[in-house]
Amino acid sequence: MSEIEGPDTIVALATPPGRGALAVVRVSGSKVREILREVVPEWDERGAERRPVLASLVDPESGSLLDRALVTFFPGPGSYTGEDLAELSTHGGSLVPALVVDAIERAGARMARPGEFTQRAYLNGKLDLVQAEGVRDLVEARSEALHRVALHQMEGGLSRRLAELREGLIGLEALLAHHLDFPEEDDPPVALERVVEEGRTVLGGLEALLATAPEGELLREGALAVLAGRPNAGKSSLFNALLGEERAIVNERPGTTRDAVEASVSLGGYPFRLVDTAGIRGKAGEVERLGIEVARRYLRSADVVLLCVSCEWGWGSVEAGFLEELREDASVLVVRTKADEGALSGDDGSAGPGDPDADDRRSASDPRVRGVLTVSALRGEGLEGVGEHLRDLVFGGAVAGSGAAPVLTRRRQRRGVEIAHGEVTAFVDALEAGVPAEMAATHLRPAETALEELLGVISPDEVLDRLFSEFCIGK
Amino acid sequence: MERGYEVIVVGGGHAGAEAAAASARMGARTLLITPDLSRIGQMSCNPAIGGVAKGVVAREVDALGGVMGRATDASRIHFKMLNESKGPAVWGPRAQCDRGLYPRAVRRVLDELPLLDLFQEMVTGLWLEEERVRGVVTRGGLRFGSRTVVVTAGTFLRGRIHIGGEGAVAAGRAGEAPSLELAQALEARGLEVGRFKTGTPPRVDGRTVDFSKVQVQDGGGGDYRFAGYVSEELPPQRDCWITWTGPELKGIVQRNLTRSALYGGEIAGQGPRYCPSIEDKVVKFPDAPRHQVFLEPEGLETTEIYVNGLSTSMPAEVQEEFLRAVPGLERARITKLGYAIEYDYFPPHQLRHSLELREVEGLFFAGQINGTTGYEEAAGQGLVAGANAAAKVLGRDPLLLRRDQAYIGVMIDDLVTRGVDEPYRLFTSRAEFRLLLRQDNVLERLGPIAREKGLLTKDQDSVLGRRLHDRRALVEWFRQTALPPEKVNPLLADAGGTPVKEPLRAEELLKRPELGAEGLAEAGELSPRPPRDMLHAVEVEVKYAGYVRRELERAKKLAEQAEFRIPEEAPFGQFVTLSREAREKLARIRPADLGQAGRIPGVSPADLQNLLLEVRRWKRGRERAVAGTE
Ligand SMILES: Cc1cc2nc3c(=O)[nH]c(=O)nc-3n(C[C@H](O)[C@H](O)[C@H](O)COP(=O)(O)OP(=O)(O)OC[C@H]3O[C@@H](n4cnc5c(N)ncnc54)[C@H](O)[C@@H]3O)c2cc1C
Ligand SMILES: Nc1nc2c(ncn2[C@@H]2O[C@H](COP(=O)(O)OP(=O)(O)OP(=O)(O)O)[C@@H](O)[C@H]2O)c(=O)[nH]1
Ligand SMILES: [Mg+2]
Repeated sequence: MSEIEGPDTIVALATPPGRGALAVVRVSGSKVREILREVVPEWDERGAERRPVLASLVDPESGSLLDRALVTFFPGPGSYTGEDLAELSTHGGSLVPALVVDAIERAGARMARPGEFTQRAYLNGKLDLVQAEGVRDLVEARSEALHRVALHQMEGGLSRRLAELREGLIGLEALLAHHLDFPEEDDPPVALERVVEEGRTVLGGLEALLATAPEGELLREGALAVLAGRPNAGKSSLFNALLGEERAIVNERPGTTRDAVEASVSLGGYPFRLVDTAGIRGKAGEVERLGIEVARRYLRSADVVLLCVSCEWGWGSVEAGFLEELREDASVLVVRTKADEGALSGDDGSAGPGDPDADDRRSASDPRVRGVLTVSALRGEGLEGVGEHLRDLVFGGAVAGSGAAPVLTRRRQRRGVEIAHGEVTAFVDALEAGVPAEMAATHLRPAETALEELLGVISPDEVLDRLFSEFCIGK
Repeated sequence: MERGYEVIVVGGGHAGAEAAAASARMGARTLLITPDLSRIGQMSCNPAIGGVAKGVVAREVDALGGVMGRATDASRIHFKMLNESKGPAVWGPRAQCDRGLYPRAVRRVLDELPLLDLFQEMVTGLWLEEERVRGVVTRGGLRFGSRTVVVTAGTFLRGRIHIGGEGAVAAGRAGEAPSLELAQALEARGLEVGRFKTGTPPRVDGRTVDFSKVQVQDGGGGDYRFAGYVSEELPPQRDCWITWTGPELKGIVQRNLTRSALYGGEIAGQGPRYCPSIEDKVVKFPDAPRHQVFLEPEGLETTEIYVNGLSTSMPAEVQEEFLRAVPGLERARITKLGYAIEYDYFPPHQLRHSLELREVEGLFFAGQINGTTGYEEAAGQGLVAGANAAAKVLGRDPLLLRRDQAYIGVMIDDLVTRGVDEPYRLFTSRAEFRLLLRQDNVLERLGPIAREKGLLTKDQDSVLGRRLHDRRALVEWFRQTALPPEKVNPLLADAGGTPVKEPLRAEELLKRPELGAEGLAEAGELSPRPPRDMLHAVEVEVKYAGYVRRELERAKKLAEQAEFRIPEEAPFGQFVTLSREAREKLARIRPADLGQAGRIPGVSPADLQNLLLEVRRWKRGRERAVAGTE
């Protein structure tokens, strides 16, 4: 019989390369102890578990000093990867960490592939797939909201919920096993109504989770917020103001922006992909017309549209026509720009073209319009309001205030839950239609499999365990 | 005395009888050795065959040409179709048999086989040369040579019987000697050994039971048959009865708990959860107000009654006391005491799917010694082990049943892939393809396989040919025959369905929930009337076509995974891209294909993917190495 070989040992720089006061080098695998003994001669295994130790790092061949660093050793399986693991906090910069990594390589490790530490954590059962995805999101999070959700996911929040739902399915199977396999028992047969009822409970849980998917996926990808409006409405100015940097060209000439400009930004703590587009108008040059086409494409897939209307002119037929072109279910925020100018023209008290109430009345009749705000990009006024409004419009449902509730953040997760949902729905429907239980039951295993594949765990035979713990069975 | 055989079977229980018969039917010169020839096919416990899933197994054994179906038909004195009110895919035929008639029928069927010899002796050791089997050695010092050996020693290996906490008696079964030398000989081969326990209830004298206080259960079941090839004559039928335990019995058991061998700490072996003793029931479910007790006749010519539901290891006086607390049994006189028995088994991950041991070539194990419990489970394994022991000698392909082909396949795969931590019994919930594994289609499922492997006698083969032909004709009839409204509407009226206006094909009508195949065949004056199970099979396959198709598709996927074979010598321990746990499990179980690897607990889907890559890489490396040396 073949011996069980230990995992090979991998090393990588865990912090971004380049300037920085400190850098962290990670090593994981079965040879970590040996490598430490070579590269950190004064390191003593005894008493050095999970405690940082200040020590000299040397080249394993020449013995020359590389750095003084903090070395922390985590013995497996209680480490992040589940294997012996060490973290070396070296001095930063581009040279020292590279020398250390090189020394460790020569002492018997190999360079890790991207994500390999987390992969090992997964393989060794320290994390399930969903948690590993949480780690990835956490590292990549650019908004507080994703940070919160990812942290929860990494800590096992979503996994626990999925595991509970899977438990629910196993419970259903156990009830059916009692119904089908033990027809002559002390306990009266399980009423199928009870099975249907418990099926509905599981279904409710799956539905609640699915409801978080649209917003959850936007948390990772960023919601698409498209700025649109007549040329010269101040779109590029608002775009720059929301980004906090001069990304798009601003000019008093209408038709300045030709191509769409996209940038990621966190607004109100939530991630957005903000897009500046060419102003839309009838008579445009060739290049501008192409720009307008691009704008229309963006508008079709936008999660929210910021319709910019300058206070100088107010709401007009162009805006009304523009609204009509949008999808029925589009969600539009009307932004009255250049408030500083509009305020001037409204000073005489007349309901001039820039009158906010009049704009409201005209635009509010369209169900696509979810709000009207006034800003001045020039003075930086009203920008926060735009961020908050956008957040509430896009993330106001399942994710908002979800605090510690699980959220589906990936298509993969949504697909799995959708499959389970479809199967359990079919199961409940079949039972209610009077289809024999063992036929209806064919839907349960695929539903379990879908959830198991999400988690990356395999199903041991739990159905009978459940059954025997709940019913007195056997003669 | 003829001492050279091709296959030797040790033990004449349910596994042994099937193993010997299968081997002889295959054409191998076979010897069955057991300490008491009059007890071949003896039922150690309740004389009942079948039940949910188990009944299907009994029929599977029969469809593969086995003994169990015929012996059951020839001895059954009470029959019930369990789950009849539920869907047809989970019906479970169950027969109460005459304890005396059953083994006699087994013996009669074995005596029909010209290639099978019987010999009465206790086997004490294996005759081995290097790591290969050469035969067996008996207590009297005789040596019998053979190419392969099937061991089916049941509960006899270091068996110990407990009645109450006062010391145990070494025995293989009540009144029979245990098997000690063979247990030692096997352990000395370096095999892993485990310890299980099981129990049996007291029997009482039927003349002392007050039947006015218990409820009668009449069997019904008419002329249902387990055997598909041979029509045995059914004995006269008897009733069974039900009564209930109550709070008084609970009190008695609770007060005497420390006197039970089970709870007094005498027994270490793990028992089956689905066969709990009355001590278990009272301790684990203290809130249950009552437990049912079935009173089952042991035979036509005996008044003995089997008290099903009161399995126990209490001392004699406690058994007497609690029986008096059961309505109907107030004056019952015990004829045999209930007892618990502990015995050795060999954790079955040491086996291949053929039931041959990995480490000892030519040695096969079947039945209770593989950690299972139940006659049907033992019979199913016996048949497979016997067939494979013969196939090995005759140079034929082994009989390997897949999970979608038979409950026997589910069981053997579970045993070798997952091992056991309690005595293993079959349930429909263990099968992921239970819609396919029905009692009504065993002949169609397994007959052709039995034929291909050479497991059928000439007579069985020709019955099978007719059956398969009739089945195709029946499907055709449903497809072709249009039934006029005047024939169909009375059936619909009976079932409360809406009447039809024009002639419809029988197959279309069968899709309606309120119509069944039997009724339609009658309305269509189909003659001769096909067997009922055949009608039921067609009904399931038409009415629930969508569900059945889905299972077939899933089965196909499984078969695809199984096509990726993993050589037994694959160095699982060195596949470092797999988790440590997975590598350990794989190295222990050594799965034969990717599908089996995926069923090992602890092997995750990611492990499975990496396993595929690792095995491919390893195979390529090996090929290159071979090419390099040439
Ligand atoms: C007390 C008791 C209670 C049980 N309760 C239940 C129950 O509640 N439910 C249930 O489903 N099943 C129960 N069973 C299990 C059922 O009886 C067995 O599963 C079944 O009989 C196993 O068949 P087998 O062929 O493997 O072994 P057995 O039927 O035990 O047959 C073993 C045969 O091997 C022979 N033998 C043993 N050693 C040697 C040797 N060295 N040389 C030659 N021959 C040898 C024996 O004489 C015997 O003929 C019980 C068994 C016992 C003993
Ligand atoms: N007073 C004042 N002027 C503004 C404000 N925002 C934009 N402007 C001016 O309006 C003009 C047009 O601004 P842009 O941001 O380029 O407008 P646009 O909508 O992107 O125009 P196109 O790209 O041509 O479609 C510029 O001269 C800006 O300086 C504001 O808040 N107040
Ligand atoms: Mg612009």
